[in-house]
Amino acid sequence: MADNGPKTGPAPGDRTVIGITFGNSNSSIAYTVDDKAEVIANEDGDRQIPTILSYVDGEEYYGQQAKAFLVRNPSNTVAYFRDFLGKEFKSIDPTHNHASAHPQESGETVAFTVKDKEGEEETPSTLSVSEVSARYLRRLVGSASDYLGKKVTSAVVTVPTNFNDKQKAALTAAAAAADLEILQFISEPVAAVLAYDARPEAQIADKIVVVAELGGTRSDVAVVASRGGLYTVLATVHDYEYAGVALDKVLMDHFAKEFLKKNSGAADPRENARSLAKLRFESEATKKALSLGTNASFSVESLSAGIDFASTINRLRYETIARSVFEGFNRLVESAVKKAGLDVLDVDEVILSGGTSHTPRIAANVSHIFPQTTRILSPSTETTAINPSELQARGAALQASLIQEYDAEDINQSTHAAVTTVPHITNAIGVISLSESGEEVFVPIVPPETAVPARRTVLVAAPKDGGDVLVKIVEGNTHIKVTKPEPKTKENGSKAAKVEDAGDSDDDSDFSDDDDDDEEKREKVWKIGATLAEAALRGVKKGGKVEVTINVNADRSVMVTTREVGGKGGVRGTVSA
Amino acid sequence: MDPTVVSLPLPTLPEGWAAEKDFKPVGKITKDGTSQRTIEPVGPHFLAHARRARHKRTFSEDDR
Ligand SMILES: Nc1ncnc2c1ncn2[C@@H]1O[C@H](COP(=O)(O)OP(=O)(O)OP(=O)(O)O)[C@@H](O)[C@H]1O
Ligand SMILES: [Mg+2]
Repeated sequence: MADNGPKTGPAPGDRTVIGITFGNSNSSIAYTVDDKAEVIANEDGDRQIPTILSYVDGEEYYGQQAKAFLVRNPSNTVAYFRDFLGKEFKSIDPTHNHASAHPQESGETVAFTVKDKEGEEETPSTLSVSEVSARYLRRLVGSASDYLGKKVTSAVVTVPTNFNDKQKAALTAAAAAADLEILQFISEPVAAVLAYDARPEAQIADKIVVVAELGGTRSDVAVVASRGGLYTVLATVHDYEYAGVALDKVLMDHFAKEFLKKNSGAADPRENARSLAKLRFESEATKKALSLGTNASFSVESLSAGIDFASTINRLRYETIARSVFEGFNRLVESAVKKAGLDVLDVDEVILSGGTSHTPRIAANVSHIFPQTTRILSPSTETTAINPSELQARGAALQASLIQEYDAEDINQSTHAAVTTVPHITNAIGVISLSESGEEVFVPIVPPETAVPARRTVLVAAPKDGGDVLVKIVEGNTHIKVTKPEPKTKENGSKAAKVEDAGDSDDDSDFSDDDDDDEEKREKVWKIGATLAEAALRGVKKGGKVEVTINVNADRSVMVTTREVGGKGGVRGTVSA
Repeated sequence: MDPTVVSLPLPTLPEGWAAEKDFKPVGKITKDGTSQRTIEPVGPHFLAHARRARHKRTFSEDDR
């Protein structure tokens, strides 16, 4: 038994587990039924539950109800606090707390002062961010327990990839105070990949996946090597400027200006706290509506100085005024790919996750960065895409169901660096085939960035007439081959223009079709590297197929097994480390 | 994972090629050819990896 911790969680057999995503803006709860993850709607019917608590007359509200109180009761409403866990006051960014309870310094941590008890004479309470988190998590878990009809005891919780140990410890303590055992933290992008890989129709394949997690107050992009169902994060970038609230701001400014245009002399709604809160609330609703429709309305009663205001906006207009924010998202994605040392041509899939990922223009812009063969998984680009707001909670729920039988000690051991930190091969290992013109080409079997030990098998055609076959195992590497277009005779300044193209070819996605013919052609090609081994397979039938299996061991030795499909015997050998 | 099927054919064995048991080791993965990285402890395939690692089992022992 695990008796070395301060408090032991429930025995594995007594657990009821869920997946939780606990964001600065929203949280979600999910569970699995028959290996399928489902996001739970709380008692208000919400699956994206605002991470907000509000106190009115001693009564605690959470989620959407608490969010509504940002207009009428902002000082007793606590919002945007998740990122303060495990942080000192001097290192937090309070930008998003201007219109709700303000964070303050409290010893080593951050706290909020709110009136959480009934009665005029009651003094306000100073609640640490840990206490706020515990109270919020208790509500979240309470909703899940009500839904499932039994008390939820344990959860897998998603966190950003840059959540440090101190932040995790603070979150674990807050959960414990809410009587919740955290089985494991898993990183957000990996939860999203798992949610997709767990679909029954999913095929486990070797692929490079970019996960763009676009939330309310932050955007996090990760490049993940997915290798036979094992995930390695190759690079991450984090940004706090280009996120959902920046889009709200664009609409707030737009409608405030419209309002002032129609009501000359009226006070600017951005200069009064209550008007600003109304403007923000309705702008966010309008923004969400624009993800679905090409037109959306905006309507607020008594927006400023008692004047009602109603307006509409179409998607094109929105996309124009929000353009610089959208471009910010593209730059983030590009910088993550670059940081991973990869090219856009290496990316097989892009998963758009988080609430802001519903925006069709963001998906369209991101797709312009990548070749057509890259799958962009978002609602507007792939009909079978999973709701981006649900990916993390689903991934967490799937992981929870996978490990619920393990005792805490087992989970600790398996997630320890001794088990997770392993060698990865940097070159691909593959076999030589012949192209139609008879040239040697590299056929990858184990791709680069694969954790070892690893095993992969391919089936390769034998020479047309069969006979004795050479199985040559080599290392391989990719490079990007750039073919310049045929120089055009008509323009003479075209060379200089070309150089610039490379840098901003994605910026003007709307115009890129015009100069398609001029664009240089970029392709990924394999280069044959050092030979590791050769094997001979004799007397292969005409039209036969050869199975080649490569086992790369943890000590970097390579075992090669090859045989004719349907044939007997075969050849086996090892390349020592 | 299902094996990939490759239609480009393997070459014919060169005339005079010979090796003991028809297998000839030539080079090895260089030390530079690997780097230490962290795999995420998530998903069913990781659990299988952890099981193999902790019990020091190979893929084929694991298959049995
Ligand atoms: N349908 C939609 N279209 C556009 N934006 C949306 C949509 N749904 C939600 N959003 C936006 O997504 C953001 C919230 O994202 P998410 O629910 O992923 O929160 P989060 O992870 O808690 O955010 P963070 O931690 O970054 O603050 C908000 O800005 C919200 O307005
Ligand atoms: Mg998020």
